Amino acid sequence: MFLAETNPLNNSALIFPALECFHIVGFAICVGTIGIVDLRLLGIGMNRQKTAELARDVAPWTLAGLALILLSGPLMFSSDPDMYYLNPSFQIKMVCFALALLFNYTIRRRVALRGGSGGVAVLVGSVSLLLWISVIFGGIFIAFTGNM
Amino acid sequence: MLTFAQWVQETGIATAVRELWLPYPIILSLHLSFIALAAGMILVTNLRLLGIAMRKRPVADVVDQLRWPKRIVFLGIIACGLLLASSKAEEYYYNVFFWIKMSLLALIAVHGLAFRRGVYNNAAEFDRTGRIPGNAKLAAALSLVLWTGVAIAGRGIGYIEPPLDKLHAQVLPVYIEQGR
Repeated sequence: MFLAETNPLNNSALIFPALECFHIVGFAICVGTIGIVDLRLLGIGMNRQKTAELARDVAPWTLAGLALILLSGPLMFSSDPDMYYLNPSFQIKMVCFALALLFNYTIRRRVALRGGSGGVAVLVGSVSLLLWISVIFGGIFIAFTGNM
Repeated sequence: MLTFAQWVQETGIATAVRELWLPYPIILSLHLSFIALAAGMILVTNLRLLGIAMRKRPVADVVDQLRWPKRIVFLGIIACGLLLASSKAEEYYYNVFFWIKMSLLALIAVHGLAFRRGVYNNAAEFDRTGRIPGNAKLAAALSLVLWTGVAIAGRGIGYIEPPLDKLHAQVLPVYIEQGR
């Protein structure tokens, strides 16, 4: 599994694109649901619902998206570990991803469940959106940077 | 169509996006960021119509409150998409996944029009009767399938090699260097 040549995932040309599709659907669900709560913190969208209610409603779906991401991601990584590991864009993506997850399940969770509003909510929502958008940028740039 | 594609990609902005290596991935990343936000809103709407998620919230709350955020995010997606497509118009002309994606988007437009009166402008009625009718659930299910198709087709676009022998435009030297 640690050598690209012996990895069974590289046997078919279709497996990687399939994994990518799961990855895309996964982050659409994960980042999308996180985005809904972030927009609410910014006062956009579902304003009739309390932030706490919204956060609780979407939480299981965020986890489902995250599960898809965490299953497909490492599998894709394993198909060409050296390339990813050495790719600066991938490295930045992983750092942003770790920060985004950490932020999401600590500070943002507290602010959302407490029913945050005003300056703090806007700040927390913006930071969250920026972190997750950085993850997306990092992901796209993998193919555009480093030695292919 | 082909000459139109060739004309579009020769415009100043399209050429700029294509010939510098940085704008295309930036615009693509913005495209995907807007898509992620839109995906969340579309998912939540459809799950509510299917009665799977947010069951305690009125359907009208979900459908009506997300209407304008969705439209604004869609504008962002389309703006990015136009820049991306125009920069590689001739290449996309030959790309089957691009045409599949466009066809699915056209179907989504038809879907939106078809279900507008009965479902999307009618959410208050569902809350009044406490029942979500079959056609609303059909609209939601179709929406999920179509949008997933768009996402997959969109990713597919990047998998097809540009037909270098057919293209008139200056292709990024990095493609040739990498043997792509």
